[in-house]
This record gives sequence, structure tokens and C-alpha cells, in this order.
Amino acid sequence: MHTRFEHSLGVMHTATLMYDAIRERSREILELELAYNKEGLGRDRQLVRIAALLHDVGHGPFSHAAEELLPNINGGDGKYKHEQYSAAIVRSDLKDVIENHPSNANYGFKADDVAALLEGSSRAKQALFWRDLIDGQMDADRMDYLLRDSYHIGVQYGRFDLHRVIQTIEAVRFENDGSLRVGISAGGWHAAEALVLARYFMFTQVYFHKTRVAYDIHLRRALKELLPKGVFPKPTTSELTDYLKWDDWRVLGLLTEGKGGEHGHRLTTRNHFRNIYSTPEVSKLSDMDELKSVKEKLGAIVAAEEAASKSWYKTGTPDIRVMSETKSPQPLSKYSTVLANLKANNQVLLYVSPEHADDARKKLNEVLKKR
Amino acid sequence: MSSLIERVGVFGYLAQNAPSRWIGRTALMKLCYFLQEPCGTRLGYSFSLYSYGPFDSAVLSDLGEGEALGVLREEVISYPSGYGYRISCALDPDELAKLGGELLHRYQGNIDWVIQQFGNYSAADLELASTLVYADREAFAAEEKIPITELSRRVQEVKPRFSNDHILHQAEYLQRKNLLSAVV
Repeated sequence: MHTRFEHSLGVMHTATLMYDAIRERSREILELELAYNKEGLGRDRQLVRIAALLHDVGHGPFSHAAEELLPNINGGDGKYKHEQYSAAIVRSDLKDVIENHPSNANYGFKADDVAALLEGSSRAKQALFWRDLIDGQMDADRMDYLLRDSYHIGVQYGRFDLHRVIQTIEAVRFENDGSLRVGISAGGWHAAEALVLARYFMFTQVYFHKTRVAYDIHLRRALKELLPKGVFPKPTTSELTDYLKWDDWRVLGLLTEGKGGEHGHRLTTRNHFRNIYSTPEVSKLSDMDELKSVKEKLGAIVAAEEAASKSWYKTGTPDIRVMSETKSPQPLSKYSTVLANLKANNQVLLYVSPEHADDARKKLNEVLKKR
Repeated sequence: MSSLIERVGVFGYLAQNAPSRWIGRTALMKLCYFLQEPCGTRLGYSFSLYSYGPFDSAVLSDLGEGEALGVLREEVISYPSGYGYRISCALDPDELAKLGGELLHRYQGNIDWVIQQFGNYSAADLELASTLVYADREAFAAEEKIPITELSRRVQEVKPRFSNDHILHQAEYLQRKNLLSAVV
């Protein structure tokens, strides 16, 4: 068991180590490309620390499990993200403590400076470069959660050499388009490879584990029952206070009182949905055709369908720049044959209720025999 | 809301119809941004700004899954000064049309327009153009009306490596294409 606060301190600490390492190793390029001077780098170090500390304050109860219940933006397709709630909270509830903190006399930060970096706004100016440390391919957030989750869960996955990553991190510039990103020197590519693999193993073995995913389904559906109109309040001035009242403790209390409907009951009695069918971790179009046949055969007894592609923890296609010894940036996959052959996980899991599991297995055997 | 398969179909169409019959990762990201934000194509991404322009890691996840599904191919190409990605479509146009489904059918006009306007842009200019549109939309959302020189100044603060003249020239082009809303 660990808390979001503990993780937030860890992200701030890791982001600071990363910032200092890049400032040390890439000072010339930061001055040249982003017009930084010594004072600017000192100021933005503190800005990055505050943003890293506060990056998750906008999370709802049980963090990513509840993210699907964030409302749509202006009635469109796109949903609010927890980063937008973090930015809204920084601009309102945390404004005073940021702007009027005694040490802020040295920096003159506005809450809006922190919020702009968190949400990704042009108002963050050249500090946007550092956003990669908070939400990027090789960010302090995932470095902290992989190691912290691994430690607290007690698994051997999720580990990598954080200190080697930090010793070799740098700002990598492309000559052809002039873009500047956080990358790693050639001496650190094995450490970066281990980070990507740590993420891959944590995803397949922990975050997308069939039973953990089942509890996400129940939690999400129970929350939908508990929330007015089934969605969280918006990150607007009028609704933010209501949003902040939705924390883990309130939800746990309501579930203990027997609220949350069928799924609240399943959570409290640990009577979770059963994973009845899974496509391969790397599914082809033919696997998706088989999935379609299985769903048609099982019909209404399919209680839930969960896709790796929709998971917040999905691994995707990493693009970590490695600065070669000849100062020519190369992708990490050029160095690592393991990563060059690592495909994105697009697995789909089907679930049925325990009451329908036997019936579902029979039907599943029929459809799979035919194929 | 679009499905993964439909979005992958759109990626394949973008690659297949680009002037060179392939696109890079920067082009994919920025073309998706133009398609979704100013053009209103319902891809369902949540772009936010980085120093390299609007970005959503979900686009790269979809790309990886498109490759896993066997719809897209991606290879790394090395240049003397760096590297890039070459994304191409592994399906023929008829197979692709089925895959892209409703999304491709409904928004084909938008997609063709975006390819026509930006298909020949370099990665650097796609970054710049998409950042200008992003900053403009931020200003518009804040109900600001700003001169084009102010928009250029804001973008130069994010991207000091671009000259003011170059940014202004790009902004004027976007304005002529009606892609800027807050500029007066």
C-alpha cells in the first residue's frame, strides 16, 4: 500500500535529478536553442519541481481506474484528462500557497506558470521543453511509479537502473529539423532499454493482469452508480469544489454502506467477473475476426470487453533518442534488437459474470472448434 | 467516437495518399492534429503542447497497434545527421477503405485537404504550423483577439530557434487558409 503523496514526492525528486543532469550535460545547447541563462535555468528548476509535485493532484478516486468517468469537453468526443484538473486546482485552491509562499519572492511564480506547464500551454514558453520530464517517453512519473509499484506489489518486474539513466540523460538535438528532446547518451542505452522492458513487463504482468482489470471494471461501474449522472464534475470554477470532494475515502465509505449497485457488491464480496477469452498480446486482423465470432456466439453474456489499447498504462511505440558517440542521434530501437522487435500490445480481454462462466466456456469451445 | 481500427485506417490513408506514399512520425502526429482540431475530424485524441508542437502519445500507441495488426509498416531511416521513420500502408486501397469505415468515408474531404495543404511540409515546418494553430486556439478559447505579430511572438517564446520573420510568414499562410481564429 502506498499513497499518491508518496509517489508525488518521488516524482519531484526524480524530476529534480533529471533536470540537474540535463542542465549539467547540455547547458550549451539549452543556452543556444532555448535562450536560457543561469538565472532562467535556476528559476525553471523550481518550476519543474513544483509541477512534478503537483502533477497528480487532479486525479479522481483510485486514479486511472476512474478516468473514463471524466466528462466530455464541451459535449464533444474528447474527455477531460486529470492533468486539466491538476491545472485547474493549481489555479484555484493552490494559487495562494504558490504565489504567497515566502520562497517565491526569489522566483515570482504565478500559479498560472505551473498550470501552463502541467497542461501543455504556450504560456509555459521555453519551459515547455521540460514537460518531457513530467509527461514524456522517459519521464519522472513513470520512472517513479514503475519502481514504487514493483517494490510495494512485491514483484521482480518493473526494475531498471534509475541512476544510470540519470547519469546519461541529456538534451538531444536533431540537425535536420532542429528539434530538441530529452534523450540519452550512447553509454546509457542499456539502462533506457531496461526502462522500456520494465514498463512492458509491468503492463503484461501487473497493470493489464486479467484479475486487476476485472476490479477496474467493477470500480468504474460502481462509481458510475455513485456519481450524479454517472460522471465526475467538470474542472470549472463552479464544479471543481464538488470534484475535490470525490476522494478514495468517500468512495470506500459508500461501498462499505452497500452503495454502488451490483458492482459495489461484487467489489465488497470479491465476486469479480471472469476472463473467458483473450486475443494474443499482439493480435492480427485475423485474431480480431476470431474475437468478433466469439462475441457473436456469446452474445449478451459478455459482461465486459477491455482493450489494452485503452489502458492508461499502455506501452505504445517508444521513441527514445540516443546520442551516438559520433553525435548523430539514433532511435533506441537501432541499438536494441529486443526493442526493435517489440510490438505494441493490442490484446482484448472478454469477461463474463461468474454465474455465466460455465455456459460461456461451453459456447466458446463450440466456436473455437469450428475455426 | 472512432474505433482503433478506423483510426488505423485513416493513418493508412494518410500514408498511401501522401506525395511520397509514406509519412514520418512527426507528419502523422501533426496531420492528425490538423485533422482533429481545426478541421473537426472525430479522431478522439487529446492533444497538448510540447516544445515540439501538439502531441498525444495515443497517436503513437495507435501507430504501434496498426503495425501489430499488419495494417501499417514502419521502418527507421538514417540520415547523416539523425534519423526518421517511414510509415507506409500494408493494405491495398480497397481493403483500406473497408477498414477506415465510417470515419474515413465521412471525413475523406478533410483528410484530402490536409494532405494537400501540409503533405509536402518538412517536419520542422509542421511543428511550427501546428504550434501556431495551437497557440491561436488557446487565445480563441480565452476569448482573446490578437494581432498576428502577437501570435508570432508567443510562438517564438516556445520556439526561439525560429526567426520572427519565418514564424510570421507561416502565420500569414495559415491565416489565408482560415486556420486562425483569434487573429484580427
